[in-house]
Amino acid sequence: MQDTVKTWLTEGTVDIFLGYKMVEGHPIPHGFSRNCLDEIDEMVTGPARYSLEKFATQLLQIHPEAKIGILARDCTQRALNVLTIWQQISPGQIKTLQVNCCPSPLGSNTDCSYLQPAETGTYKAAHGVDGSQSLQTLEQMPEEERFDRWMYEFQKCIKCYGCRNVCPMCFCRECSLENKDLVGNGHLPPDIPIFHLVRAVHMAGRCIDCGLCEEACPAEIPLRMLYRKINDMMGTLFDYHTGSSPDQSPFSLLGDKPSSGLPPMTAELSKNK
Amino acid sequence: MECKFVPSVCSYCGTGCGILFQVVDGRLIGTLPMKTHPVNQGKLCIKGWNLHEHINSELRLKNPLIKTFGRFSRVNWDTAIRYTADRLQKIIKKHGPDSVGVLVSAKATNEENYLAQKFARAVIGTNNVDHCARL
Ligand code: SF4
Ligand code: SF4
Ligand code: SF4
Ligand code: SF4
Repeated sequence: MQDTVKTWLTEGTVDIFLGYKMVEGHPIPHGFSRNCLDEIDEMVTGPARYSLEKFATQLLQIHPEAKIGILARDCTQRALNVLTIWQQISPGQIKTLQVNCCPSPLGSNTDCSYLQPAETGTYKAAHGVDGSQSLQTLEQMPEEERFDRWMYEFQKCIKCYGCRNVCPMCFCRECSLENKDLVGNGHLPPDIPIFHLVRAVHMAGRCIDCGLCEEACPAEIPLRMLYRKINDMMGTLFDYHTGSSPDQSPFSLLGDKPSSGLPPMTAELSKNK
Repeated sequence: MECKFVPSVCSYCGTGCGILFQVVDGRLIGTLPMKTHPVNQGKLCIKGWNLHEHINSELRLKNPLIKTFGRFSRVNWDTAIRYTADRLQKIIKKHGPDSVGVLVSAKATNEENYLAQKFARAVIGTNNVDHCARL
């Protein structure tokens, strides 16, 4: 792996390679460059996982012409697909070096232990939402109970914006979560459930289930579950599979020709009746 | 093109969360929680997430200022330290060492706080030392 990165850098395949370096026992993300090839011997692949694709997007905003190499897990690949669709990166600008991966229904490689869900305590099991269960199990609960449980989770929010800051798909110049008309400022918890639902809606067709938001949430809100539901709906209603390819435009659900009827959605809605 | 992440500790409160400063081309562009730090394990509060902002802020003070006749004027460090030492000496001579109090900070390092209390006790000669985490 080290040799590949060295070759990429010396041959000019990439200008910078984003991976991890051990610094005093901590795996720290690092941009390896041609000027310090020796550093590459210290490159590691884990165990900590940072949003390398977000760093790549940020680098491209500063150096639009740069060619970037990046250590990629499955979620990174999905993220790059979505970032391409949303025109945050252009295809071919980012070259990936595939490494092993973490569990997600959107991916099949599952031998990274980093994302093993934290153990659910008894209080959370009784009153909150256990993020380690499947969406289907959760949905078997009565609606009212589910609502109460989600509200219990949301009221723990300390509005750190960590979920948004860490998310590779949150690249908006202006964020709705800072819009005073939607989310008032100066009080905690923030306006719930609107704060979390605004973000959830924005993750439709965007969230690639990397779980970084959930890992960054100091309140341990099972955010991933929320966005899984949204993208589950994208799949069943619109046959849109977030992150699966770099060319399924978010507008593809409108069909080839403009029309007022959305065939897949109508089918699903009539099923619900 | 340079892109690196510099490990550090959040200076906003006594919790001491581990952070990474995101540096691109020598310019600080962001702060991230350090995932493997034993204190915060990849999480931060809103202050920590925005640590880089005050560093790049236009309002940041980069030189000592001395207020004379109600107006601040920029001076160099030697002048500022000399001025402060003179004033402290005058006050201590006139009113005694206990007329001075030293407030240290959760936002400074352990070593800096140690030095500050040493300065209060051994140089000024007072036990008036307190800490912002107690205020
Ligand atoms: S929360 Fe929504 S508006 Fe804010 S950055 Fe993310 S996608 Fe954009
Ligand atoms: S799992 Fe969280 S951090 Fe990852 S893409 Fe989805 S919303 Fe963003
Ligand atoms: S990371 Fe958690 S606590 Fe922070 S704003 Fe998001 S939901 Fe709230
Ligand atoms: S991130 Fe927040 S809790 Fe952590 S040290 Fe900084 S101010 Fe304190």
